[in-house]
Amino acid sequence: MVAPSIERGPAAAPSPPKAAASTPAADGVILACAGLVKRFGARTAVNGVGFVIGRGETYGLLGPNGAGKTTTISMVCGILARDAGTVVVDGRPVDIGTIAAKAAIGYVPQDLAIYPDLSALENLRFFGRLYGMGGRALDRRVDEVLTVVDLRDRAKDRTEQYSGGMKRRLNIAIGLLHTPRLLILDEPTVGVDPQSRNAILESVAALSAEGMGILYTTHYMEEAERLCDRIGIIDEGRIVAEGTRRELVDLVGGVDRVSLSIAGDGRGVAAEIGRIEGISSATARENGIDVLVAGARRLLPRILDAATRDGVAVRSVEVIEPDLESVFLHLTGKALRD
Amino acid sequence: MRAAFVIAVRILRQRLIDRSAIVFAVLTPLGLALAFSVLIPNEFSSFRTRFVVVDRDGGTAAHVLVDEVLGSLVEADVLEYETMTDEAAAADAVRAGEAGAAIIIPAGLDAAIETGRPAEIRILGGEYAVSLELARSAVSRFASAVGAVQLMVATSTALGDADVPGAVVAAQAAIHDPAPIGVMDTAIARLQAGLATFYGAAMAIMFVFFATQYGALALLSDRQVGTMNRLLAAPISPASILLGASIASFVMGLVAMVVLVVATTVLQDANWGSPGLVAALVLAAVAAAMGISTLAASIARTPQQAGGLNAIVALSLAAIGGVFIPVSQAPESLATVSQVTPHFWFLRGIDTLASPASTLADIAPSIAILLAMAVVTGAIGLARARRTLVA
Repeated sequence: MVAPSIERGPAAAPSPPKAAASTPAADGVILACAGLVKRFGARTAVNGVGFVIGRGETYGLLGPNGAGKTTTISMVCGILARDAGTVVVDGRPVDIGTIAAKAAIGYVPQDLAIYPDLSALENLRFFGRLYGMGGRALDRRVDEVLTVVDLRDRAKDRTEQYSGGMKRRLNIAIGLLHTPRLLILDEPTVGVDPQSRNAILESVAALSAEGMGILYTTHYMEEAERLCDRIGIIDEGRIVAEGTRRELVDLVGGVDRVSLSIAGDGRGVAAEIGRIEGISSATARENGIDVLVAGARRLLPRILDAATRDGVAVRSVEVIEPDLESVFLHLTGKALRD
Repeated sequence: MRAAFVIAVRILRQRLIDRSAIVFAVLTPLGLALAFSVLIPNEFSSFRTRFVVVDRDGGTAAHVLVDEVLGSLVEADVLEYETMTDEAAAADAVRAGEAGAAIIIPAGLDAAIETGRPAEIRILGGEYAVSLELARSAVSRFASAVGAVQLMVATSTALGDADVPGAVVAAQAAIHDPAPIGVMDTAIARLQAGLATFYGAAMAIMFVFFATQYGALALLSDRQVGTMNRLLAAPISPASILLGASIASFVMGLVAMVVLVVATTVLQDANWGSPGLVAALVLAAVAAAMGISTLAASIARTPQQAGGLNAIVALSLAAIGGVFIPVSQAPESLATVSQVTPHFWFLRGIDTLASPASTLADIAPSIAILLAMAVVTGAIGLARARRTLVA
């Protein structure tokens, strides 16, 4: 078992996270970024983010909305000018004006990036040509990706007539078109129906199996757990921990998470529960309280007793084995969905 | 460069799909040319009007006014006139627009002239200001001549050594003689294009601003629909994205201009001048319009904002630049200000090309200033656009 890297404390001078023993060997690296900083006026959106992705590895950036995931990958893709830091893709530095390194990247933005007045076929051909493709090779590849995302039958329809899921699939197809060595997906399943979501996750897993390096951002813990070989937990512009799922879960020391669903404000109850001996933390959220505790089943009666003492109605109780949500709660004191 | 063309083709294709390319680059210029061919003749000299004359005197002076003064205008193919006996009918004809003006010659005109009493020739004018001015001018010319004769006769009588009736006869005869000294108004005027050519050119330079806005609008639209990030992530330089939009703008503007030039030539027999020189002027004008449209769009945040702003800029520059009122007829201050617009320099170039002997050197100042406008405004606009692309 390899110890994960952890970075905590106040966000002072930017510094990359500590190297983890589980990072890929140098010759197998498809993406290496270090010390990324981006400021918007007085606000520092990304503060010293760095990580490495190996060929064929799926790396997840897990964090709540506004944590700095999209800003980070915008800098990685060379879309956004950075204030500090370096990005190297497939051995070549990436910047706003660089061309060679960008050819190795397939980018799937969080917001749909397709032309609604063009068909899927026209969208794919246009972006394919921007990547230097053309002729029969382009036609063949367009046909292949349309098959992968199951849009062949509707390829000639204008995309404004597509459902949300179909647009999402086309959004991904454009990123795959030029067979990139590094695929960057920014929350690709946001707003997608369960069926399409599952199809997208299966496609990503298949691409990873084919040897494509993947950077996947999400605030869905289940997606990160299902897809990612390694995960960087990002909050307030900093990577606070990084490692495999197992490594990260070990950080919380085998504590369970007890999730209480209640009616009303749970802050007073959370404080009450937090005073119980053996409780690591108790955090109130909307209509609920998350409690981290070692040996949850033993302390559950006392937790419920504290919760109901003030007349609060407990609607449901769930005891969850340690997971990434617990890790995030443990490291940041807040829930992923905040 | 390849990427820029790929982007330009995509923008043009989208404009074809939403039909804006057809509307702004083809149908509107063609429609304007058709409208002009119906409403506007190509020569200023083809102005004609019609007067009605009510002669209540029937004397010698009235004959001189009608046959000689108005007759000269008839010979010049500017006027036709009809005599009437009833003033009310004449007024009705003017009111109904059947005549541009009516001239009412009072009874006793000859007697009044001979005895030195005042007489009044009245002019009734309708809605045609130019016709009224022509009638006023003709009658004034006649009244001046009669006044001169009266002065001469009065002077002779006062001196007492003349045969008065004989002097009057001599004076009446003198009215028919050419004046011993003629005065001719002469102005140093520049060459002017025909009316159809002028309005064709004026509409072309105004509408080219609407046609060239589409490249810049496409950039804003890319930002709005999210495709700009995808373009920036592609292995192409940001300059290629801007160049692609510029090429699309240029093509749209050029098509609009060429359609108007060809349509007014075919439908109205407009004479634009040497095709090579017209092409040079048109290319420079499209470049200037493209630069200004790009600058206007770079200030906006959405395509809707940019479209509105561009329309304001296009119409304001058109008004200042002599599209609606020719600069030659505008106040001097406006004529000076108009020189900051590409419209002024384009129309000036077109006027210059009215001379068959004109050369590239003659229109070089217009082309140089249009290109300078294109470079300055385009550079600022593209720099602003680039800064927002890679913020």
